Amino acid sequence: MSGVELSEDSVDLQQRRALLKRVAWMLGGAISAPAALAILQGCSAKETPAGAATSWKFLTAEEGSIVSAIADTLIPKTDTSGALDAGVPAFIDGVLQAVYPKDAQDRFKAGAAEFATAAKAAKGKAFADQAAGEREEYLKASLEEALAGERDPKPFVLMARELTLLGFFSSKVGIEENMEYVAVPTVYHGCVPLSQMKKHVYWE
Amino acid sequence: METNSFDAIVVGSGMSGGWAAKELTEKGLKTLVLERGQMVRHPDYPTAMKDPWDLPYGNRITQETRRRKYVWSRTGYPTPSNELWFVDDLENPYVEEEPFDWLRAYHVGGRSMHWARQSYRLSPMDFEANAKEGVAIPWPVTYDEIAPWYDKAEIFAGISGSVEGLPQLPDGKFLPPHDLNCVEVDFKKTIDQKMGRKLIIGRCANLTAPLTHNESPQRGTCQARNMCIRGCPFGGYFSSVSATLPSAERTGNMTLLPDQIAYEIIYDEKKGKATGVRVIDANNGKQTDYFAKVIFMCASALGSAYIMLNSLSSRFPNGFGNDSGELGCNIMDHNKPGGSSASVEGYLDVAYTGRRPNGFYIPRYRNVGKDKRDYLRGFGYQGRAARSGFGRFNESAIVGADLKKEFAEPGPWNFGMSAFGEILPYHDNRMKIDRNKKDKYGLPLLSVNAVVRENERKMEVDMRNDAAEMLEAAGYKNVKVNSDNFHVGNSIHEMGTARMGDDPKKSVLNKYNQVHACKNVFVTDGSFMVSSGCQNPSLTYMAFTARAADHAVSELKKGNI
Repeated sequence: MSGVELSEDSVDLQQRRALLKRVAWMLGGAISAPAALAILQGCSAKETPAGAATSWKFLTAEEGSIVSAIADTLIPKTDTSGALDAGVPAFIDGVLQAVYPKDAQDRFKAGAAEFATAAKAAKGKAFADQAAGEREEYLKASLEEALAGERDPKPFVLMARELTLLGFFSSKVGIEENMEYVAVPTVYHGCVPLSQMKKHVYWE
Repeated sequence: METNSFDAIVVGSGMSGGWAAKELTEKGLKTLVLERGQMVRHPDYPTAMKDPWDLPYGNRITQETRRRKYVWSRTGYPTPSNELWFVDDLENPYVEEEPFDWLRAYHVGGRSMHWARQSYRLSPMDFEANAKEGVAIPWPVTYDEIAPWYDKAEIFAGISGSVEGLPQLPDGKFLPPHDLNCVEVDFKKTIDQKMGRKLIIGRCANLTAPLTHNESPQRGTCQARNMCIRGCPFGGYFSSVSATLPSAERTGNMTLLPDQIAYEIIYDEKKGKATGVRVIDANNGKQTDYFAKVIFMCASALGSAYIMLNSLSSRFPNGFGNDSGELGCNIMDHNKPGGSSASVEGYLDVAYTGRRPNGFYIPRYRNVGKDKRDYLRGFGYQGRAARSGFGRFNESAIVGADLKKEFAEPGPWNFGMSAFGEILPYHDNRMKIDRNKKDKYGLPLLSVNAVVRENERKMEVDMRNDAAEMLEAAGYKNVKVNSDNFHVGNSIHEMGTARMGDDPKKSVLNKYNQVHACKNVFVTDGSFMVSSGCQNPSLTYMAFTARAADHAVSELKKGNI
């Protein structure tokens, strides 16, 4: 259909379709659900490239560095992956360009500039150059202030936080390290004790 | 001309067209199915098996999609995972005299590709209401007459649900019901004990167990993915593409032509019959006439009425079969003005696994039995309880490692439900053809004017307040009344444009969905509905279509048409 662009690798897609066709037809027949699941999980996507974006589509390099630093501060790498490992800065850049309307794009850019200036004024150096503890302290205070104030239109730090969470939990590492993601669950159980779940958070 | 002649033509390949194709071909008729959009074949659904990280932009709708699919965007449904099933509204304009959401799906399978799969019978009460209350005209069909056809539709499609014995929502031939979750189970008890209201698991066209017949070897059971809207390669839910069209295909009697825009029924004045359908090829603008002994209109309520209003002859100067002047009138939908949501305390040690493609249903209780309100008819609720996700972190200032610790636990439970209310048939809720405006094929535009009126406005008060009252009775916190600014069409249940009736002066179709004034044309999509009930209507379209096809073949054999 015209006007629809899906970012798909056509070769991948064809192979996947052929495989699925077989799996689906087999499911009507005799294959066991776990076997089908194994086949399907075997054709999952490529790893999301880790790290911050190096070429920006929508943000300037300066704005990109602020966004990367905020994402890294919100969800740092610990014993599990962080926002940068999940490719969140590039994700935010893309969403701002394709998903956000013009007025929200403009507010985001203006907000990023204000945030950079205020953060530098508060701590004496650029936000991205501050120590992790300093960044956390400053961002927490900014979020508290924004949450207490006028929310419409949404302040920059709240937009940045929302985009970071969305990007992280749309990424393979963010989902797989924090949630039970099952592509083909096969069955729904309506009431399950958390003690019986592998991970307590089930992707839905 | 020979190659363009068939026993039957079915216009449209969606919910109703698929059933017409299956029934007519299985009864031996060489049948042409005309679809205005592109081909879709089971199990080829391009986005069905994409993992969340395969979808661009966190699966958020882009500005470009919003711009092109500007009517569909009003529903919140289109995302990169499913947007190929929603029509490009910019390329397919219509005129909104009053705001009207005409939500179209131009491809093989139509809206059966992405319906919500909720499948309920109308009840004896629904079929009797117009006559008892003196509203519009009586239904010419009783519940008992259509009940066996509901059985047939449910058995073939595979409808899951629980047997409840409720007079306002007749039971059917069900596959096992989905589970209610832990919160919903308790809520069900509360509203039953405190208010005498019933809550049941939704009755839905998802195969919770294998079908009870062997007619659909291409379908497997529901895999609890809840990604039905993308198309299901497992055939876990009913659609034309997964179920009826494959049956029709297997007979060897079906010719399915995509990209063919039907715009006129050809009427032979001498024979006093319709002889065929005129189409434009969506790709090259080429006009072709196709001929058949019997024609089934299944192009959706507005789509079929448009083609009929656009089919002028000296016998039918006001539109095909429109002696009554009711063609294009009496547009109904289901009013969806809001409901209520709340947060639920407790239940922190339980959740659910798998993704249920279904919710709960609270059947109508207003104006049922002894209950009497200052409006006619009633409404039902659809909703669910769920544990909240990562979105809740947007409401806290927590950052860094502290935030990441929170990722390991599910959020508190939330609860939400929305009302679907009956809209009465009003003659003045109508569509017409605006011959001054043309689309890119040179066809005049459909122009629509339908609004909710006094009875619906009165009902809305209960629809919102009752919801909040129930959530409060359950002891939930932060109970909010949700008010949505509903426009007719938004529930995607538009119907009534060629209503059936015993009196040809007041209706377009007879009780077998047959055009009163031209007996070899049947209209079996939502057009035929005489009242809307408050139940999701697709199952009713399936049942009436199967019954009409049976009648058509029988009449054909008798030489009556």
